[in-house]
Amino acid sequence: MSSSRDDFGIAFRSALLQRGAAQKFSLVFLIVIASIVFFLDVYGFGFMKPVRAIINDGIYRVTLVASSPSRFVPQFTGGLTNLFNIKKENEKLKQELEAFKQKELSVEYLTNQNKNLRKILESEESYLKKENMILSKVLIDKSSPYLKSIIINRGSKSGVLKGMPVMDKDYLVGRVVETNYLSSRVLLLNDLNSRIPVTFGEDGVQAILKGSGGSRPVLEYLPEGYIVEEGIDVFTSGKDGIFSPGSPIGITTQKGQVKLFSESSQLSFVKVDLTQNEGAVF
Amino acid sequence: MLNFKTINKIINLGPLILLYYLSVSEIDSHFENYFEILSFNIQLIIIYFWVSKRPEVLGSGHIFFAGLINDVVMGFPLGISSLAYLTVSLVATYVKNMTVNTRITTDWFTFFIGIFFSNLIFYILLTNFSEIAINLTEISYNTFFTLIFFPFFWFLFTFYNSIITTGRNV
Repeated sequence: MSSSRDDFGIAFRSALLQRGAAQKFSLVFLIVIASIVFFLDVYGFGFMKPVRAIINDGIYRVTLVASSPSRFVPQFTGGLTNLFNIKKENEKLKQELEAFKQKELSVEYLTNQNKNLRKILESEESYLKKENMILSKVLIDKSSPYLKSIIINRGSKSGVLKGMPVMDKDYLVGRVVETNYLSSRVLLLNDLNSRIPVTFGEDGVQAILKGSGGSRPVLEYLPEGYIVEEGIDVFTSGKDGIFSPGSPIGITTQKGQVKLFSESSQLSFVKVDLTQNEGAVF
Repeated sequence: MLNFKTINKIINLGPLILLYYLSVSEIDSHFENYFEILSFNIQLIIIYFWVSKRPEVLGSGHIFFAGLINDVVMGFPLGISSLAYLTVSLVATYVKNMTVNTRITTDWFTFFIGIFFSNLIFYILLTNFSEIAINLTEISYNTFFTLIFFPFFWFLFTFYNSIITTGRNV
């Protein structure tokens, strides 16, 4: 009995302390270093922020280069599939084109009318808001089983601050949770850590849109006994003072979930709203 | 033109290159588009296999740095993946010290102990010391599928290990 305990002790000590022929550090040394790094980063000591920002910027660039083959393969296979389908699609499109030509004149008239009405409806404020948006490229959108976030190529150099809303076209996709000098991390709406105050329906029901970790976030803190109907558009309420009120987010489903207008896995370019610079805590 | 020695050197560095590449690149093993709960951690399999079979191929320092890189890319606090990887490495080294001949079944069982402690440390540190919330169910699924896929990679890496051995014997 004591012999087996001795064996365990010897083997465990050996595993922790011994260095093999090609090992420069013992495991216990590295575990201690990793623990120190972890606690320094978690408790946010002053010098860790710039250090982490530099490391982040560097590694994000390397990741972008390293990921280029993995981006090329789906594009190539997608292109090949399109090539096979193109002839069939072309014939179908020709038929459709004929049909659309018939309606062309009326469509043109309606389009012009629609543009004029939109100009009347949109306030000056919304134009100003658009000027304060910066376009940024999605560098990394690594899908993690735990965190749903993307890395964009704009950082504090471009005026991006923690908490700023991020849009895909006119749809809200998330908010900035980490800024570096040249890049930022955006927490997506479907992340488990995401909480957004929203409003929806004719009665202007207030709720919190909580990320589920899956593809569809859920509505929480609804009025007592409220049953969510399918197909209602959900907008930001702006109650938190971070997001502009009225940004479209998605559409409700039967289970009280929200199907987002913007597909988070398909983001290539996003816009950061620089007007909301109050910054929220993550 | 590359000579035999250089090719052999590159082959020997294969597991290390793969570990760094998986940590730094966007390639991941989370197949949410096909099956939402399907995700597994190839890095843990690589570390466990190579540390237990041929530790000279995968140094502890490299495992530590691969963990740091993974933390940056994934957005976790620095050092947490390193600790998780080093835990698996510790279990693998312990098993290597205690056993002479291992089979796939024994490796599979001891790997389960390794990833259990690794993911437990990961979860405890993340939930207690950081503001990031993660779902225990997702970690459990990840652990389960990592365990399920282990034999496939075991055979793959065993074959690769034989190539390394062949190269060295020559």
